[in-house]
Amino acid sequence: MSKRSVDAVFQGLYLLTDIRGMLRDTVPYHQLSVEQKKEAEKILGKLEKQIAILKEELLA
Amino acid sequence: MNCGEGIDTRQIDELFINLDPIQAGGRLTTDAMKAVLAYGDGYSVCDHCTKPFRLDHISKPPLAEFHRDLASFLNMDVARLVPGARRGFQAVASALVKPGDPVLLTAYSHYTEFLSVEQSKGTAFEIPADESHIITPDAAAARIEEVIKTTGKTPALMFIEQVDYQYGNQHPVSDLSKVAHQYDIPVLCNGAYTIGIMDVNGKELGADFLVGSGHKSMAAPAPSGVLATTSEWAETVFRTTGIKGDLTGRTFGVKEVEMMGCTLMGVTSVGMMASFPHVKRRVKEFDAQVQYVNRIVDALLTIEGTKIQSEYPRKHTLTRMNTTDSFDTVAKTHKKKGFFLTSALRERGITGILPGSTRVWKFNSYGITSEQADYIAESFIEIAEKEGLVCSR
Repeated sequence: MSKRSVDAVFQGLYLLTDIRGMLRDTVPYHQLSVEQKKEAEKILGKLEKQIAILKEELLA
Repeated sequence: MNCGEGIDTRQIDELFINLDPIQAGGRLTTDAMKAVLAYGDGYSVCDHCTKPFRLDHISKPPLAEFHRDLASFLNMDVARLVPGARRGFQAVASALVKPGDPVLLTAYSHYTEFLSVEQSKGTAFEIPADESHIITPDAAAARIEEVIKTTGKTPALMFIEQVDYQYGNQHPVSDLSKVAHQYDIPVLCNGAYTIGIMDVNGKELGADFLVGSGHKSMAAPAPSGVLATTSEWAETVFRTTGIKGDLTGRTFGVKEVEMMGCTLMGVTSVGMMASFPHVKRRVKEFDAQVQYVNRIVDALLTIEGTKIQSEYPRKHTLTRMNTTDSFDTVAKTHKKKGFFLTSALRERGITGILPGSTRVWKFNSYGITSEQADYIAESFIEIAEKEGLVCSR
């Protein structure tokens, strides 16, 4: 059992959900404010880390 | 893009401003969406269910605490989760109404309130609305007197909507409750359009039973809702089982009869619970939502011939318009007929109004931002002007 990979899956899904929330908040044109762009960048950075963990755990 | 065989991925709320009259308050928070991901499996809240084996006693996830918090949030004594407001109506009617009992409803009662009375074999008597589409205490008193005179019985229950589904009007629940209580008639307040949207204080309203909808107004998955009551009525509506199997001698612990045991055993209860901290905050911000809807209505009313059928200025975001003398005149000659309006709105990223409606239609702007309110208001005017309607802005 790879608890680390399971955690990474959920963490990744939650981060994507935060992006989904952002898309919902900014309908219909999804024009993000400066703060929202910063937040999105932060979320995507964290998401990349989770994907890296999954690659490490599952493909190594 | 499919999320299952033949099941399209729903992206309405990611792509459009959704003004659907019944969907606005049930849109999930991001925390509820995360809860859906983690608790989607069937009996997902039952991993740590121990004696006495009942949903409102589970402490992990913290459902026991959530039940207590819900009661306190509504200023009632006891609360239970139910699979939709309708199951709350059903539980109360089943506990209080005996065959042949008269039951008071209103001209704006939801059909499921009627069905709950029908299932209990009660007889429905409606309190009429006045010309402003409000249920008044005088009308309630007159109807109670009439029912007692004609049936020889005092009504077993009175249903009253805090905000009704037809006009989105606020009714004087507290005054109506006082009238009912003068005749010892218990009051069920239907808060399907208020609990989770605006501050609701059950004791101030004089409600013996308060029913809310999770999927309509508490940012929760369907079917979900809440039934709250006072200590006085809790033992009646949440009575525990006393039945025994005649061969096996089995009994069923503390399962509650009207709840049919446990109610929301998975994603619905956890989704509702995940949204709850947000719901507690957002009810304090309802005034801003009322400002936004009035901004949209004000814009609509600048379009010559447009009327509002709900009370105005608006006190709630669910609103009923009459555009028979404005948008419907366009529909008569437009190549898209009555669909031109919803089609033009959709082109602008706005959806949720019944397609083809150009006469009487409803919308609910709950949950929008100030910028989105301006955008919606401007879109209606833009569409009207494009179609040659006169706007007095």
